[in-house]
Amino acid sequence: MSEKSNVIVSNAPWNKPLPNIDHDNAAFWEGLKAHKLLVWRCKTCGASYWPKAYCHNHENEPFAANMDWVEASGRGKIFAFNIHHGAFDAGFKDDVPFVYALIELDEGPLISSTLVSGRMPKDIYDVGQKVEVVYEDHPAEGFTIPRFRIVE
Amino acid sequence: MPKHPSSGQYAIIGLGVAAGAQPGRSERMVAAEAARLAIKDAGLTPKGIDGAIDLRRTGGGGDRANYTDAYSRVLGLNNCFYFVVGRGGALAGLGIATALSFLDRGIAKYVCLMGAVTDWSQAQESRKHGHRGMAHGEKAGYWGKALGDQRAVSHHSWMAARHMAVYGTTSRQLGAISVAQRAWACKNPEAKMHGRPITVEDHQKSPMVVEPYHLLDISLVSDGGIAFILTTADRAKDRPKAPVYVLGQGFGEVSAELWWEKKNFTHMAVHPAKEQAFGQAALTLADVDCVQFYDCFTAEVLFQLEDYGFCKKGEGGPFVEAGSIGPGGSVPVNTSGGLLSCYHLGDLTGMAESIRQLRSEAGERQIKDCDVVLTTGHGGELLSPGMCSIHTCTLLGRHP
Repeated sequence: MSEKSNVIVSNAPWNKPLPNIDHDNAAFWEGLKAHKLLVWRCKTCGASYWPKAYCHNHENEPFAANMDWVEASGRGKIFAFNIHHGAFDAGFKDDVPFVYALIELDEGPLISSTLVSGRMPKDIYDVGQKVEVVYEDHPAEGFTIPRFRIVE
Repeated sequence: MPKHPSSGQYAIIGLGVAAGAQPGRSERMVAAEAARLAIKDAGLTPKGIDGAIDLRRTGGGGDRANYTDAYSRVLGLNNCFYFVVGRGGALAGLGIATALSFLDRGIAKYVCLMGAVTDWSQAQESRKHGHRGMAHGEKAGYWGKALGDQRAVSHHSWMAARHMAVYGTTSRQLGAISVAQRAWACKNPEAKMHGRPITVEDHQKSPMVVEPYHLLDISLVSDGGIAFILTTADRAKDRPKAPVYVLGQGFGEVSAELWWEKKNFTHMAVHPAKEQAFGQAALTLADVDCVQFYDCFTAEVLFQLEDYGFCKKGEGGPFVEAGSIGPGGSVPVNTSGGLLSCYHLGDLTGMAESIRQLRSEAGERQIKDCDVVLTTGHGGELLSPGMCSIHTCTLLGRHP
């Protein structure tokens, strides 16, 4: 693996379950490849969602036409996390133990991923740290996985 | 408030339990066996059953209805309908609500509701391929699967972690729940963990699976089937076993608050469900003699104790640590041992125990003068990164 700013490039074969890329989130996954973390925002009231949803605040246009993907700050804080000590799927054997965190993005929505590089929470009560997104590119696979790291 | 006209108008008259490992048996045979036992317990024959419901974990990581030989056909029921109901661990509660509309309109006189799983046998197969735990790998459409979020504990543990961070709850306090339920299981010869009492120290020493959850915070992986027969109160009177009356039911969903309130990591959708069920039955918490909470993990028990008001929000830890939910405690919870120590057949585990307590069939663990039991279900799709959404509340009673 090589690391440059907030980008990790991995050429290791992906022996884990593949990400679920579908009609609703294809644009989000394209955004990750371009190193942008997108959230789904309401053009009427500015509320942000992830994943895709109708805006909960008011009447929506057909098929949520009043919403669009926009680039988020890529920053947030740890809402809760756990530490996986064992691999349920054999593909994660070399990754354990890993911290799997629920991140509250500055824009509001929750998203989950694992923490990479640098400081880890000191115990289960140690939440609220500021984090930023790290893009883990898998060029051979054609996708980018969003990870997070503690920045303070 | 007077009770709702429907309260006490429907009753469970038969129970069938086929518990324990079922190696070499198909799910449909286990299902048919549970249904056969329930029909016999009700003093009926298969030809007397005119409606069949299959309770399946159609949400979350659970299985789908993937076989065509419905248990109703295997068993030769005389049913005019058969279909699947369920959402994660919320099976029996939803099944009862569904069956009532068929009984109410006279479409069916006796409805069989059955849920069966072969999770234990499947897990043994999965182990051969290097995987661990329940073999439900599909999770189609689920965000977390590429990230290592492979099992319910991968994300349910966030609920415990968040409660700990917000309210200072400790792992030892969660352990007290596990210990209390094991003590109940030791009074239940049918429980998988019968004869194996544990202490909080044992809980602390058990392997850390997904921190903060130790192995002893996690429910069992089981095989088995449970079925029960539902009918109208007038038809229930002349059956061999004492009727167990449906006094009230309620339902709640947290999904409306998923993104903004973020409450469902420290709360479950108890509030509306409780109001509806207790309102219909014109009962209060003080009328409840024992509780069968859905307990896929220890924190779910903690949340429900708080959300129902047995203690204040955030005070569940000290409450369970004081021995309140075990044998001799003020609120007997999961008296069979529950999903943690008896067997995991969804909310049917709690439903079966409720029926036995209300029939005074619970042996050494029998709650004295047990008139009212509160039983719950919990589950749903893993709408990433959210949690199981639905909460079901069913109040059952010895008297209509």
